[in-house]
Amino acid sequence: MTTTLTKSGPTPTKAARTKVLQRQGAAVALVLMVAVSWLVFPRFGSLDNLRDLALQGSFLAIIAIGMTFVIITGGIDLSVGSLYALGGVLAAWGSQYGFLAALALPLVVCGLIGLVNGLLIAKTNMAPFIVTLASLLFARGLLLAITDEGANTYKIDGDSAFVELGRGTVAGFGYPIFVAAVLAVLGGMVLNRTNFGQNVFATGGAEQSAVLLGVPVAKTKVLVYTMSGTLAGLAGALTAAYLQSGVTVIGVGLELDAIAVVVIGGTLLTGGMGTILGTVIGVGLIKVIQNVINQIGTLDSNYQSVVSGVFLLVVVVLQRILRR
Amino acid sequence: MSRMLLIAVAALLVTGCTAREASNTASNEGPAASAAQNQSAGPGCARGKTGYPQVELKGAMVGFSQSEKEANPFRTAETQSIRDEAAKRGAELLYTNAQSDLNKQISDIKSLIDRGVKLLIVAPLNSDGLQPAFDAAKAKQVPVVTIDRKVTSQPCADYLTFIGSDFVKQGERAAQQMIKATGGNGKVAILLGASGNNVTVDRTKGFKDGIKGTPGLTVVAEQTGEFDRSKGQAVMEQLIQSNPDITAVYAENDEMGVGAVTALKAAGKQPGKDVKVVSIDGTRNAVQLIADGSYTAVVESNPRFGPLAFDTLEKFGKGDEIPATIVISDDEYDTTNAAQKLGNAY
Repeated sequence: MTTTLTKSGPTPTKAARTKVLQRQGAAVALVLMVAVSWLVFPRFGSLDNLRDLALQGSFLAIIAIGMTFVIITGGIDLSVGSLYALGGVLAAWGSQYGFLAALALPLVVCGLIGLVNGLLIAKTNMAPFIVTLASLLFARGLLLAITDEGANTYKIDGDSAFVELGRGTVAGFGYPIFVAAVLAVLGGMVLNRTNFGQNVFATGGAEQSAVLLGVPVAKTKVLVYTMSGTLAGLAGALTAAYLQSGVTVIGVGLELDAIAVVVIGGTLLTGGMGTILGTVIGVGLIKVIQNVINQIGTLDSNYQSVVSGVFLLVVVVLQRILRR
Repeated sequence: MSRMLLIAVAALLVTGCTAREASNTASNEGPAASAAQNQSAGPGCARGKTGYPQVELKGAMVGFSQSEKEANPFRTAETQSIRDEAAKRGAELLYTNAQSDLNKQISDIKSLIDRGVKLLIVAPLNSDGLQPAFDAAKAKQVPVVTIDRKVTSQPCADYLTFIGSDFVKQGERAAQQMIKATGGNGKVAILLGASGNNVTVDRTKGFKDGIKGTPGLTVVAEQTGEFDRSKGQAVMEQLIQSNPDITAVYAENDEMGVGAVTALKAAGKQPGKDVKVVSIDGTRNAVQLIADGSYTAVVESNPRFGPLAFDTLEKFGKGDEIPATIVISDDEYDTTNAAQKLGNAY
């Protein structure tokens, strides 16, 4: 861990170089991937394909924004995959009582579970890994309980305003893409331009010094986990609107995808450093890899995980080397 | 702390993978699925009604979206059957596998359509949630045949037809086999399939309905083994501890049944003799166990949808009416025929 309080690393020059490499590395890879795919696969650049790519990425991006905040504080949130599925089911169930219920219910419930995560982590000093693992199981269990072990899938009326939220488009681009984009900009501003953002960096950079300097570490932690839970619930609600039903089988292992894109985007898993832009690039990279393997078609889709895994490994190793 | 986190995350990633057992050499020698005799008559779906263009199968690009990774014999045989039939008819098959990820199945299907397939065969991961994919197919007038799992969308509008087994019936037939094998007396443990799945719900309902008229047979325990062999084995081990007087096991697929046999043998019981084992699927491993005398009966769930799926698409192209549901006829294996019919198993 670094001993300085600023978000930069041990020495400014090395830190600057590290930051550039971490952030630009993923960006360069993304630009290269897109350029090559565009040239090699005639259908990659088609508007339909790009729209689908962006839409598929938007749900993951919303979750990964929350995860970025959590990881910068030096924590981890394993509950987001379950909260995502739970949010979807609650939204579908709530949709029978109108638009507001469909949207508010998942946000409130998932936000509350996130709040409990944050309180437990901040007040009892338990490891975030354990606390959020427990709520991963809790939320999945709750979901099974309210759906009769998943036998009962709540459907959303296809004509309702809520479905429009997931399936409506502007110039063919789905609303969830714009939601994700707005949240990414907001997230970036909160992280870099507010006191809360500074506290997030300080908490992850050197927690004990931060406490001594009067940074409200506990409050910051509670807030980031609440945010992460709420965003996972929102992503679930948007997915339910898109699928027109509260599907119970989604979100398994999604927390790992979210962690992967955050790390690929250059956020340090040890905390103290990271950007929302990097996370968005990470989402792009993962989704483009998946799309390209589909374009190749003859390649076994198992290779998607292999390629994503290799990327993750390279990034983590690079981070380790650069921080020496 | 950081190192611990990394290790922990790595461990989580690893648990997602399961070893794949050496696949059986010839999984596709058995008979293909055929439509059962008495189909429910209803208004069919004719191409004229939909306005879709006629597609010549020969030389056509056909997409197949598989739902789960091929770690179990059912999926392997299903995919192989589709591949073989596509090759036989000179169609070009594009294949994707959603790896149990619903969002991936949607983008898989969309990208198949984007790459220009004219016909689609989909093995749905889930009964709900594929609406965006069906809408994309509808927009490009690509007929979709769904196999093995039924979806809740509208037949003829969102998809053409569903080809698959009657899972309730399979459960009922398993119950009949159980009644025959036990003489109508016994304590039954049920190894349930994965939660949130209509296959599990239907096979449970069929079995329970089937034994209702037989008061001597009582269900003493039901636990999920998630259609998985090692989980089936683990659950069986616990059930033997808590209910040592179990005399019969109904497993909702063969993999769990095979796992249960291992557990029973380890506990010093004789599966097939003092504990009857009945399951559904018709895999090579289970049917072999019947022939060896340590399994009671298997109700088949035929995964070889290839010929019937392509026949259906061909008929639709010609303008014939296609029923909304095509139920296939499934076979049965018991001690009298397992040895002869072993070649049909997959």
